[in-house]
Amino acid sequence: MSEETAQQLTDTDAAILSWETWDRVKHTERFAIVAAVVFVALWSWLFARAPITSELGGYHSLATTILIWSVFAIGFNLLLGQTGLLSFGHAMFWGGGGYAAALVSLHVYGDPVLMLVVGTTFTLLLAALTGVIALRLHAVYFAIITLAMGQLLYYLATSPLRPITGGRNGLTGIQLEPIFGLVYLGMPLPGIFGTLWVNYEYLLVATVFVLVIAFVNRIRKSPYGLIFRAIRENEQRVSFVGLNVWRYKFAAFLMSGGIVGLGGSLMTIESQFAGLGSLYWITSGEVVIMTVLGGVGTLFGPVLGAVIFLYFEGVVDGFPIVGRYWLLMLATVFTAIVWKYPDGLWGMLKLIASRIRSSVEDNP
Amino acid sequence: MSLLELEDVHSYYGHSHILRGVSMEVEEGEIVSLLGRNGAGKTTTLRSIAGAEPPEVRSGHIQFNGTDITDLETEDVIMSGIAIVPEERRLFSNLTVEENLELSRISQNTWNTIRRKIGLSDPSGKSLDELYELFPVLEERKEQQAGTLSGGEQQMLSIARTLRLPNVELLMLDEPSEGLAPQIVETVMNAIETIAAEGTTVLLIEQNVQAALELADRGYVLDMGSIVYEGTAEELRNEDDLDQYLTV
Repeated sequence: MSEETAQQLTDTDAAILSWETWDRVKHTERFAIVAAVVFVALWSWLFARAPITSELGGYHSLATTILIWSVFAIGFNLLLGQTGLLSFGHAMFWGGGGYAAALVSLHVYGDPVLMLVVGTTFTLLLAALTGVIALRLHAVYFAIITLAMGQLLYYLATSPLRPITGGRNGLTGIQLEPIFGLVYLGMPLPGIFGTLWVNYEYLLVATVFVLVIAFVNRIRKSPYGLIFRAIRENEQRVSFVGLNVWRYKFAAFLMSGGIVGLGGSLMTIESQFAGLGSLYWITSGEVVIMTVLGGVGTLFGPVLGAVIFLYFEGVVDGFPIVGRYWLLMLATVFTAIVWKYPDGLWGMLKLIASRIRSSVEDNP
Repeated sequence: MSLLELEDVHSYYGHSHILRGVSMEVEEGEIVSLLGRNGAGKTTTLRSIAGAEPPEVRSGHIQFNGTDITDLETEDVIMSGIAIVPEERRLFSNLTVEENLELSRISQNTWNTIRRKIGLSDPSGKSLDELYELFPVLEERKEQQAGTLSGGEQQMLSIARTLRLPNVELLMLDEPSEGLAPQIVETVMNAIETIAAEGTTVLLIEQNVQAALELADRGYVLDMGSIVYEGTAEELRNEDDLDQYLTV
């Protein structure tokens, strides 16, 4: 280290210098991806097996489920948070992808990668079809028509298409083949990897999670992301700068549907089951709650929302006496957070962080 | 042939008949002013030209550069060479100054791609540097959210944004002086003059008659949805009868 830099570091504004570096770094694309990788690498262990944190009652399969639902919420948020379109029918992509993945494994071959590809492709087609109709409507009418389309799909799966979907029983007996013909997803990982990630299935889910974060982050930083934010603010003003609003809304709807379908296919792989619940409107509502709770329009907020929501559903639910009131407790938490912090939990954390930081800067 | 030509245009907001047969022409290179008081139909005229809905144009024709643009979507009207500075600035207030300008560059790229495909050379909108030269204050504020700018700065950004578009043959401004302090009005009007001097045709919608006529070559006066007077700026300034249409 040269004398000059050493001098700089001993300067009183050393703290401010490092804040500036942090500000620069935290907005870079690579940082978001590295953060996502570190998160998934430690997540299951911290949640289910680490000495202190696992006392909260987490377990590995819930950790996996939370990552999968996070993919759902991130995909949903691309539409609600970035583009400002509130869909109440996203269960159709979640369930649609899940059923498509289940069907290909039952009737063709159960390679997990094939299931993901088929599930995602199916939902992209479904999103193209429904988007052409739904995107003609605005605001609350858009919310209602997506809700109606979702329920239509739910109804179709319930009875007219029962021979294909299995009706109320859903699709069971899904056999997973080894991924790329190499290894079964249920195989435990050796040594330290086993402690951290348990099995290959977690690795697959974590990889998809990181890829989805990377993709959405890319979109957010690209011209598309800028146009989406502009559309969120005011559609007509976007057409006044010569851009075709419909085209970009359609693109956002497709991307969102595709990501959600990818998540739905993962869910089928994880549970080896595809059921009507995944298509039901309550599922569409749950993802809205997760996203709003975590922070609309943020990259990691929906993940946080999924963690809290599923923690209540999966762990608090099992507590003695209070357990059966988990939904009431969640609702209370939700109301309190959204009332006090309109930007959700992520917004709350950011606010707290900036308060701590300004108090640190004031008293060096 | 005129650059822009409106022929007996009738526009409606739902059942309300707002424009009752507006006919007007803007020649290439002119600065034309459209005057009239609140509710006369000035903004409706602009929105009819822009293809923005509402209003709905139920009869009449709007021609630009010899092609009928009456039924085009807004973005296609913009792309055909008409830039619009809407009333009350209408920026993306949560986006930064530079992001607001960036949006126009995206459409510029789209447009240039189309031009290249049909074998035409690249036209270029103004570069960021050129815009900052025209409005130095925007450069100082480039990281700031557009909504936090002062009224005058927002107006400059709104104008700069349209100049970033490719191929601006006609610039339409809706009350650029509205709500601005007199010395800011002058800055904005000077900027419009500079743009016009570079060869862009301007259609200026104003309530501020004095400022508008100082700049304009010709003017139209709109009242109750029809043109009641037209003439050169000189004639309009000297016409005393016009007060009944222009004062509130």
